[in-house]
Amino acid sequence: MDSFNLFLQFLANGVVNGSGYVLVAVGLTLIFGILGVVNFAHGEFYMLGGYAAVTAAYFLGWGLLPTFLIVAVALGLFGILSERIVFRPLAGKDATNAIIASFGLSVLLQNGALLVFGAQPQTLRLDGMAQTAFQIGPVFLTGQRVLIVLATLVLVSILMLVLRYTWTGRALRAMAQHPMVAQISGVHVRRVSVVTFAVGAALAGIAGGLMSAVFMVQPTSGSMLVLKAFTVVILGGMGSVGGAVTAGLLLGIIEAMVSGYLGNELRDMIGFFLVIVMLLVRPQGLFGRITERS
Amino acid sequence: MRKPVSILLLCLLLLLLPVLGSGGYLLNIIVMIFIFVILAVSLDLVMGWAGQISFAHAAFFGIGAYTTAIMERDLGTGFWVNLPSGMVVAGLFGLALGLPALRLRGHFLAIVSIAFQTIVYLALSQWTSFTGGQYGLSVEPVPGFQRVGQFYYLALALAALTVVLAWALTHSRVGAAWQAIRDDEVLARAIGLHTTSSKLLAFVIAAALAGGAGVLVAHHIRGVTPDDFTILVSASIVAMVIVGGQGTLWGPLLGAVVLTALPELLGPLASFKLVIFGALMIFMIIAMPEGVLGAWVHRRRR
Repeated sequence: MDSFNLFLQFLANGVVNGSGYVLVAVGLTLIFGILGVVNFAHGEFYMLGGYAAVTAAYFLGWGLLPTFLIVAVALGLFGILSERIVFRPLAGKDATNAIIASFGLSVLLQNGALLVFGAQPQTLRLDGMAQTAFQIGPVFLTGQRVLIVLATLVLVSILMLVLRYTWTGRALRAMAQHPMVAQISGVHVRRVSVVTFAVGAALAGIAGGLMSAVFMVQPTSGSMLVLKAFTVVILGGMGSVGGAVTAGLLLGIIEAMVSGYLGNELRDMIGFFLVIVMLLVRPQGLFGRITERS
Repeated sequence: MRKPVSILLLCLLLLLLPVLGSGGYLLNIIVMIFIFVILAVSLDLVMGWAGQISFAHAAFFGIGAYTTAIMERDLGTGFWVNLPSGMVVAGLFGLALGLPALRLRGHFLAIVSIAFQTIVYLALSQWTSFTGGQYGLSVEPVPGFQRVGQFYYLALALAALTVVLAWALTHSRVGAAWQAIRDDEVLARAIGLHTTSSKLLAFVIAAALAGGAGVLVAHHIRGVTPDDFTILVSASIVAMVIVGGQGTLWGPLLGAVVLTALPELLGPLASFKLVIFGALMIFMIIAMPEGVLGAWVHRRRR
């Protein structure tokens, strides 16, 4: 019975970590699916979200919701700025160039954060954040961890509704399916590009803020995370939001199980093995379309 | 006939530099430039000539470096045995990655190579009993080349050999096949070229050369740590190829010189070094997408 309780605890930890992966990977998969941009700086959006939350909480001391509203707006604006300065000039050029530029942006932001915030890891402390621990059956979870899962659930649901029922959402999906036909049908490509980056960066920023309450935030926080988020994007199928949600939770759970039963050293590696296997066996991902666009 | 003369002058200058009494600091940087010339020129075979992207070059670089460190520790062998061994081991890893991965194209290939790069980095940093973990391993200097003024010639010779080899390869039938694949893979297959084995050949040769560069760097800095072989290093090598101008041989060489020397030139701004490096990477890609050399050639043609 004890071993089963342990399994449940691993499962819960996996869902918490997986939720963080989901929020980062959803933005990444949108940016990839809609714009065809592989954005390595996405992990830095996550990291900056962590610092934005810590800074806002320190100077303003507002509650939970206002603080995260600030984080979302700040990172959304930052996403728009990066799109304008770095990615728009490269639109329509060789895809490798955008990858290199996003690497440059990643280096720039990581070291910029090091200069501004220092190497010392920081934690988000908010009064509004429940300090109580929850007990569900044999599983213990702190309030911050439960919050991560809840926030992911709410945000992803809103995103999916927006994509499904609003004009903006339809324009985004049209771009992902066939950019040229979308353009002919009157979709404003530039606006779609801006919206995609704003939404992706805001989601990553919120994830970073939520995670900085549990794990600490430091300038290199995003560098391994973005690589893992890429594995989630591939596993779920590039451009598929539903796939990213499933694969993100799955990766979190698999990692928790691997680290619990096989050893912590293998934890970070497992996702990358899965990606290589997946690309060789089923390149379109779990939920991706089979057809390949030129 | 201006080109051969200027190349000759450059070679002469490179040969005389240590004799002219340049400081150890300058020579150390130039040795690093030679090592990155090997890396950039070899990666260009894959990227610029065979048209396949790879973000795993630093992994092969690291595999070479750790091969020499581990062989020295466990077998007691020296540089001249370890150099070919490191190249063979890195080449075999290149084969193991390339065999399945080269079926994929574009973004997918990029991401598989990134996954491979990350696995190698994690293995190097976490398999402590074998690789020494985060602290790495120490490596003995090469007998007869202990001083940097001596090691300089070793690195120069190997870099020159690599450039000559790359030139010979790209001007052979193999190089022509790579170009055909790069320009139109379907057409290349239609006229009877064995595209998969051609691509694989480029991949394995590049991996082996990167392994050689790894052996060299291990004996140069007299040790290996996993942080010298991160994905950032891979991306920097890709940036060298692109900033210089891919598929031009001289371009990647120039890119390696510029991007290795640049952080050193920013000496007084040491803490801003990487911020400026990142900003420059973005700027150069946007301003000169065909590379410095490509932009220059373009302007001269007009």
